[in-house]
Amino acid sequence: MSAKRASVASSLGPKSTGLRRSIDWGSLAPLRIRARMVAEGVYAGAHRSARKGAGVEFGGHRAYTPGDDLRWLDVRSLLRHDHLLVRQFETETDRALRLVVDATASMGYRGKSAPASKIAWASLVAAALARVAIRSGDPVGLGFIGGAPQARGVPVSGGREAFERVVDALEGQSAEGDALADLPALDRALGALSRAARRGSVVVVLSDLLDLPPAAPDRIATIATRGRVVVVVQTLDPDEATFPFTETVRLQALEGGATVETDEAARERYLAALAELQESWKRTLVGRGASFLTMRTDEDPVSAVRNIIEAIR
Amino acid sequence: MTFLTIFALGIAALIAAPYLAHRLRRQRAEQHPFAPTRLVPPTPPKARRRARLEDRSLFAIRAASVLALALLGASPLVKCSRLALSRSGTSVAIAIVLDDSMSMRVVDGSGRTRFQRAQEGAREILGALRDGDAAAIVLAGSPARVGLAATTDISAARAALDGITESDRATDLDGSIAIARTLVSELPQIDRRVVVLSDLADGKPDAPALGEGAALPVWVAMPELRAPADDCGVLAADRTGPRARVRFACSTPQAAASREVQIKDGDRVIAHTPLPQTQMGEATLTVGPEDMRDETRELVAVLTGKDAIASDDRATVVVEAGPAALAVVGDRTEEAVATGGAPVIEQALAALHVDMAVRPIPQVPDRREDTAPFAAIIVDDPPGFTPEQRHALSAFVESGGVLLVALGRRAAAAPLGANFEPLLAHAVGWDSSPSSGVDLASGASFFGEAASSLSDLAPKGRAKLAEQDVSSYEPLLKWSDGAPLIGRRSRGRGDVWVSTLPFSVEASDFALRPGFLALLDAFVSEAKQRATPRRGDVGTPWAFAGARQVEAQGPSGTITATRDDGTLRIVPVLAGAYRVSIDGNKELRVAAPLAREIDMRPRAVAEGATSSALGGGVAIVDVSWMVALGLLGLVAAELLVRAWASARGASGASAGTGAGTSSESKAS
Repeated sequence: MSAKRASVASSLGPKSTGLRRSIDWGSLAPLRIRARMVAEGVYAGAHRSARKGAGVEFGGHRAYTPGDDLRWLDVRSLLRHDHLLVRQFETETDRALRLVVDATASMGYRGKSAPASKIAWASLVAAALARVAIRSGDPVGLGFIGGAPQARGVPVSGGREAFERVVDALEGQSAEGDALADLPALDRALGALSRAARRGSVVVVLSDLLDLPPAAPDRIATIATRGRVVVVVQTLDPDEATFPFTETVRLQALEGGATVETDEAARERYLAALAELQESWKRTLVGRGASFLTMRTDEDPVSAVRNIIEAIR
Repeated sequence: MTFLTIFALGIAALIAAPYLAHRLRRQRAEQHPFAPTRLVPPTPPKARRRARLEDRSLFAIRAASVLALALLGASPLVKCSRLALSRSGTSVAIAIVLDDSMSMRVVDGSGRTRFQRAQEGAREILGALRDGDAAAIVLAGSPARVGLAATTDISAARAALDGITESDRATDLDGSIAIARTLVSELPQIDRRVVVLSDLADGKPDAPALGEGAALPVWVAMPELRAPADDCGVLAADRTGPRARVRFACSTPQAAASREVQIKDGDRVIAHTPLPQTQMGEATLTVGPEDMRDETRELVAVLTGKDAIASDDRATVVVEAGPAALAVVGDRTEEAVATGGAPVIEQALAALHVDMAVRPIPQVPDRREDTAPFAAIIVDDPPGFTPEQRHALSAFVESGGVLLVALGRRAAAAPLGANFEPLLAHAVGWDSSPSSGVDLASGASFFGEAASSLSDLAPKGRAKLAEQDVSSYEPLLKWSDGAPLIGRRSRGRGDVWVSTLPFSVEASDFALRPGFLALLDAFVSEAKQRATPRRGDVGTPWAFAGARQVEAQGPSGTITATRDDGTLRIVPVLAGAYRVSIDGNKELRVAAPLAREIDMRPRAVAEGATSSALGGGVAIVDVSWMVALGLLGLVAAELLVRAWASARGASGASAGTGAGTSSESKAS
């Protein structure tokens, strides 16, 4: 029922910019608590700090805590003072996490079997990543592709407040805008990021990649240069991944206004077209050193965050 | 409501049911928002494909099956019947009288005209003929004519039958039956018959019954052609100034009820009035002066409403020219002194009651346009013609006019420059007459008994023509010494008559004799025949004597004239306007239907003429076995379509499942 509501809300059309399309959070609300839970789940696993790690400059000692990598245990200090200390090293550059969430109209879609809309799921993952980063001492920033005109991103900052600002920005966003017809919106989101992100920064892009302009893969892949880590997460609704329609349906695009009358006979060719799109993105991104992941909104957000963190490392 | 009606309604419901089910199955596709729509190929939707490939074929098969079942169930009732002759065992000679008149244009309930049904009946009759049988075709449209002389080549008869088309002619049943009898009466076949395929509406409902007392048996077939019908038609439409007169006829006064006569300029109605409820009458309409300003615009008179024959509901309005005029050129002063009143020639024309206006004019017209109002010109004792007059008269004659020139004393004393060329090549003389009367034998055929009145003319003198001029004229009446008194010669499309005796009573009392009246009567008749009739009856040929090339644009397209007895003729077989081009000169003529053709009452038929002993509708084909075979075929076709559709559905489903699995694996 809620899926139908979201579908109808989305079908109002991206061009009617005067209407505010609130995010269908589904079972992922409230974002703040769900993000913390996801982040806790991530810690419970094989979490490693996003900030501290292998480096060239010694950064001091700290007390050993269970779970620390034994390779960095200071053996001399243990033998001389009988204290379990861990050697720390400063990384070479800033490891700020910059999140980019696609908030165009297509991200408001929620299929029948999805727990929430694509933007809600992407927001949860983004908030959980922010939580993990902040807990690890890394600053976090947030930007949007499309979205409500009044919604603003979050500049890179650290500390507890940074997480709150990220969550507030995500909760205040709505899925609207047509990126396919609005290339400047993509440039606004990625241009500033490309200029400001320093060497070693981590950029995570959460988007369905379905209605981005043809130049988008190159623009995003360009960020991966100069030692920056870029992970692009294609966020798809289960319906979009499987094409579940069995009867004749009239499909209306959420961006661009295309309408197609079709049925299950089109499934094979649709899935081939989708695979070709994914392969095209993957080829462009991996060729420039970036990572490409495909995730569905019915996936467990905890494992999704873990996969993203693995891709960052 | 009879059992058959209920039965037919039930069949209709059975046929409609699959159609309704088919329509109900087709529903509009549900709309869904779907972000990657641009990746979805625009394949034809399943519902449409099914409707096109499967549902429609199944629907057609099922509907046909229901119909076939119904026919099979009703096979004792449903049989194909066709016209056939009753035969006595010997060869048969038949003359088919096919009515191609206007009344056969009536459309029956099946949407076919009576003519088409009669033509179909004739085909069936020809189809029933065997080797050794002979057939002839006679067309009953007036004038009755032979469509095909008697032949034993039935394929030729079929070809001739296929070439016959409908017309707007009147009906001439008696004439056509007489011709038909003539065609077959001399044939060697013992069994000879006349078959009439007509609605029998020849406008003579009270005439003797058809087939009564006939030497050869007459079979009046297809009684269904004689169903009653109501029709009104426009017979003539003329206009004079702002007034338009529309003559009409109706089969019954009731047929004229709630109908109007309209005068139209293109699609614009410029005058209208209710149609008087009479069987035959005239409606007068007044057209606004602004609409009548241009007489070259083509107006049409139209009857509103619908009736049995649509083609006679409109007619072209022609400018009324009135009867053609006859010009008389003579010295009125001198004549008046002699007669004490009008010239003798005018008095003679008045006594003949000629249906032409007689216009006395003081001198021969010297311009071509001045001769335009006249169909004939009589010139009495002219003192020769000036070059302008000769040119005008020559053009007048060549365009169809008739000229009578009486040569007298003045003709012989023509002034210098005035002569009679090209009527006469040489000068005319005047001398005393060596004979006092005419040769009665020479004029017997032309003047009849009236020639005897000219036996003792004893004129004071007579004109003398050169030998070459005498030989160029056909003598209609000769003097007793062999010289011509009246001669005639064709020139162009017209005629020139020459009299060697003037009409003045001072020269002779020729003008006071009955023979003179006979001469004028013959001259006026000739003039009337040659005068251009603006309106003629459908089917009556238009003759163009002397014309070299005639072509007409009629309702059915271009008509080329045929030459008959040296004269070009056009037969207008359809009512309407014809633009005729005669040696480059264009004129408008109208062919109008006859009033009697609109009388739809059928002629009575003798009892023996409809006897089943002569022929009738014979059941020759029991169609039940064909229907049964067709039904089996339909069942087989449905099974094939279903098998094909299910096989296609299964392959589509397996393809869809495979695609879903691969997408799952990719997503994971």
